[in-house]
Amino acid sequence: MAVAAAPVAAVQSLAHRAGIYGLLAVVLVAALLFVPGFASPTNLANVVTQSAALGLVAIGQTFVIAGGLIDLSVGQLLGLSVVLSCAISEGRSELLLPVLAAMVALGAAVGVAHGTLVNRFRIEPLILTFGTLSILQGAIFAYTDQSVGRPPAELVWLANGRLLGLPVAGLVLLGFAAFAHLLLRHSRFGLRLLATGGDADSARRAGVDVARVRLFAFVLSGLGATLAGLLVAGRLGTGYPNAGQGFELDAIVAAVLGGASLAGGRGTIAGTVAAVILLGVISNVLNLLEVSAFVQTFAKGLIVVTAIVATRARSGGGPFSARRLPAAGTAGRDAG
Amino acid sequence: MRLLFLSKALACMTVLGAALLPAAAGAQTTDRALQKKQMAEVVDTKKFKKAGPYTIGVAAGYMSNSWVVFCLQHIRYEASLHKDVKDVIVTDAAFNPSKQVADIEDLVAKNVSLIIYWPVDEKAIQPALEKAVAKGIPTVNAGGGFSYSAGTVSNAFIDQWALGEEGARHFVKDLGGKGKIFAMLPIAGTTAAVDQLAALKAVLKDHPNIELLSAEYGDWNRAKAKQISENLLQRYPKIDGVFSPAGQMSMGVAEAFEDAGRMKGLTMSPGDEYNGWMKWVVKNQKGGAVTFPTRAGQEATKLGLKILAGEPVPRGLVIPSEYIAPKDAAKFAEMNKPDDWWASKLPEQFKPK
Amino acid sequence: MSPAAASAWSSASEALSRWAILCVLAVLYLVAIALSDAFLEPVYVGNILRQAAPVGIAAIGTTLVMILGCIDLSIGAIISFSAVLCAVLMAGDARNVPMAVGLTLAVGAALGAINGLLVVFNRDSSFILTLGSALAIYGLTQIFSGGTARGMVAPDFREFFNHRLGDVLPVLALTLLLLAAAIEALLRTTRFGRQIYLIGSNREAARLSGLPVAGVIFACYVISGGFAALGGIAVLARSGVSSTFTGRGFEFDALAAIVLGGTLFSGGRGTVVGTVAGTLVLFIAFNLVNILGFNYNLQLVLKGAIIVVASAAYARLGRDR
Repeated sequence: MAVAAAPVAAVQSLAHRAGIYGLLAVVLVAALLFVPGFASPTNLANVVTQSAALGLVAIGQTFVIAGGLIDLSVGQLLGLSVVLSCAISEGRSELLLPVLAAMVALGAAVGVAHGTLVNRFRIEPLILTFGTLSILQGAIFAYTDQSVGRPPAELVWLANGRLLGLPVAGLVLLGFAAFAHLLLRHSRFGLRLLATGGDADSARRAGVDVARVRLFAFVLSGLGATLAGLLVAGRLGTGYPNAGQGFELDAIVAAVLGGASLAGGRGTIAGTVAAVILLGVISNVLNLLEVSAFVQTFAKGLIVVTAIVATRARSGGGPFSARRLPAAGTAGRDAG
Repeated sequence: MRLLFLSKALACMTVLGAALLPAAAGAQTTDRALQKKQMAEVVDTKKFKKAGPYTIGVAAGYMSNSWVVFCLQHIRYEASLHKDVKDVIVTDAAFNPSKQVADIEDLVAKNVSLIIYWPVDEKAIQPALEKAVAKGIPTVNAGGGFSYSAGTVSNAFIDQWALGEEGARHFVKDLGGKGKIFAMLPIAGTTAAVDQLAALKAVLKDHPNIELLSAEYGDWNRAKAKQISENLLQRYPKIDGVFSPAGQMSMGVAEAFEDAGRMKGLTMSPGDEYNGWMKWVVKNQKGGAVTFPTRAGQEATKLGLKILAGEPVPRGLVIPSEYIAPKDAAKFAEMNKPDDWWASKLPEQFKPK
Repeated sequence: MSPAAASAWSSASEALSRWAILCVLAVLYLVAIALSDAFLEPVYVGNILRQAAPVGIAAIGTTLVMILGCIDLSIGAIISFSAVLCAVLMAGDARNVPMAVGLTLAVGAALGAINGLLVVFNRDSSFILTLGSALAIYGLTQIFSGGTARGMVAPDFREFFNHRLGDVLPVLALTLLLLAAAIEALLRTTRFGRQIYLIGSNREAARLSGLPVAGVIFACYVISGGFAALGGIAVLARSGVSSTFTGRGFEFDALAAIVLGGTLFSGGRGTVVGTVAGTLVLFIAFNLVNILGFNYNLQLVLKGAIIVVASAAYARLGRDR
């Protein structure tokens, strides 16, 4: 039986490694063949443009999830970025670089704050970032309850334009993804991050500076949110305060569909991007097929559940395992 | 070292914050004279003229309240009266402006003949609407705000300022010209909230004996309006009247006062024709209504079809609001229908299930 | 620290963290009274309890799930669905009320059962699975209601729940307190309750000891769903109308209340008393801010700040164990 088990296990492993890519391929092919209007270049470019912002946020989220953490504040942080970038620049192109710098600083600062609070006070990331979500939301609305400002024309082009026929937003996503991929899977930081997410204790014993790794993961998550905010600002053409609502949950869904596990230790950028595109394609297809908006919500939920159940790793441990939600600190163990 | 970085970042943010404070947008005031001029402009629609059959695309900013559901049903009803309209496609952005942008793009990709919309945020979807107009697809705004921009060809709307003003006038009369009041307004920042409050204040200018204690935002949510009212009742020992043009919020307000036993002597302003509120008016014979007609959808459709026929249309078409006195409320209230319902002349098969 | 002092501190801090939320509640209430007389009025306090009832009731059920170390993000959706379903079933007729309430409860429990099955057979995924089921249930709610708030509440239904006993305590508030007492008793005195704590502390060990882990997890999700349905009925009782987005955001408010109440994410600890206290802390804070005339935005910031500070405090206390 052991002889037969090996190839079966290999196929199984391949099947669920193919998981999100296989699902995306199937859906794409089906859409190209059966959904009228899907295959038009304009529509395909639209799908990519519509998905780019979520892609950036989801990539940032992949880092924290891989590290065994989570960041619920990214949606409101994105909203803050949209409002600030529009309000500051008021359409003036000369402010593009300062605004870019400011948003990078904002994303990093929030990330540092999260990382510090998690490391120093051992606050559960889920509840911490839920708290900061509220704080950020309150801050945005304290500043304005209506749309303010305008983004510089460059951001509008970045979010909506075409370069050699390809959507620029898609190129931005690709660039960011490439950088993130190298960082996660081909750098020492990435290795340490995955180790920390998998088992923080072992990582610590192996000499990994767990606190610093976590901090950097939060910084990346914050950056993903604020940079995505620049794209959304370009897309909306105005600083709409509630622009970020819902991004955090969609980003988590995308990261998890893409292979990251909320218990930490796993995750790929390619998988996340594939999941983001999948979600964008599904939304687009449902619109093109004139599926009622109410049914779309139901369908999305069903798809998430089915995809998770179908692509879940079934390696070892049976249905139950000792690991559950991401935990900030190890029980009872004191560390730096 | 981390702390240093953190403090530097915070310092940057404070400086930026201070720099952009002057840029912060103040409350918008509508310039009524300018708006009247803009509304009356006639649009040359020859470039939109096309032959049927037509597909109407409805880009709904949200579908989660009964008013817009009725508005949509009016659109469908009007569409059914024209044999050259073969389909109505509806997208719902669920309060997400990015999604509404994507929805409009998808409708354009589907080559709809006409786009009727109500926005989550007017400014956020302008770029997408302009692209639609550039492709020869006319756009019509249906609902509560007038939009004068390149992306909107025409508007079928309810004049929130006029609605607020008519309501305020009846309210002030019922109050006897004096007393302490508070205002219950819809979602902060929306045209409805801004205009209704501005209209109230304009009317109050002539009545110095009426004191506006507070302006609250109940977000068109009955439970929230009730909660806010409960707190106001605690804060202010004497409240003589409440200005609440939105009937569903008025219900929450009235309940709070009833619960607190302070209903006697309270003057309620007219609400709108929200069925639950109409039932209350019938029962209590107070308040009345200034209508917020859901048939805006029907008018928007008519405008859109005229545009497609190449006929000239005005930039803005006001759907007039009418005042319903408490004694007439019984004609409009549908006692055996749910609260979350609107009086209309829709034929039975078009009414929501 | 000497071993004796260390163990004294450790048991003191354990007691402190267990009852910390009650201390916080007491302090907050005192602060509230100092800032506004309203909080001394029994009627007003009754109001706050009634406001807190829907979230509080739903949170009671979900507390069990969280003690297990799992999470249930679908309660907001179940609340919405239940409110609509109950109103439709009632159709304005008081005779339908028992049937409507009973059936809604059953549906809520059934939805919880589906969640339970999904979680039992897919380890580590309760967050994302209940997130997915939340979307599906919201979609169902919208399809069912067609966008409007369907159904009509029977007139006496609301009167009953809003009636004040002794002119002070609304029946709805009493319902919250009774349900809380019942489940707290379940946790403390029954074997089922003990099993929940054991499984939450160490699932592997519990499984190896032969505890019916799958069954307990399943049962807790059923309870969570049922209580969420009760929360939806409570919303209906309180406001009389069910809109499609009634429950939106409730799941996170409930989560905050549960965590404030001392339940840990990693499981194994937590009490229903704590959850109810946490709920009250949130609602007293909101109302305090509102009554002092502050912006709605400040409420959000305050909510966030309370959550962050309280979690930090708990983590601190927990660390010394």
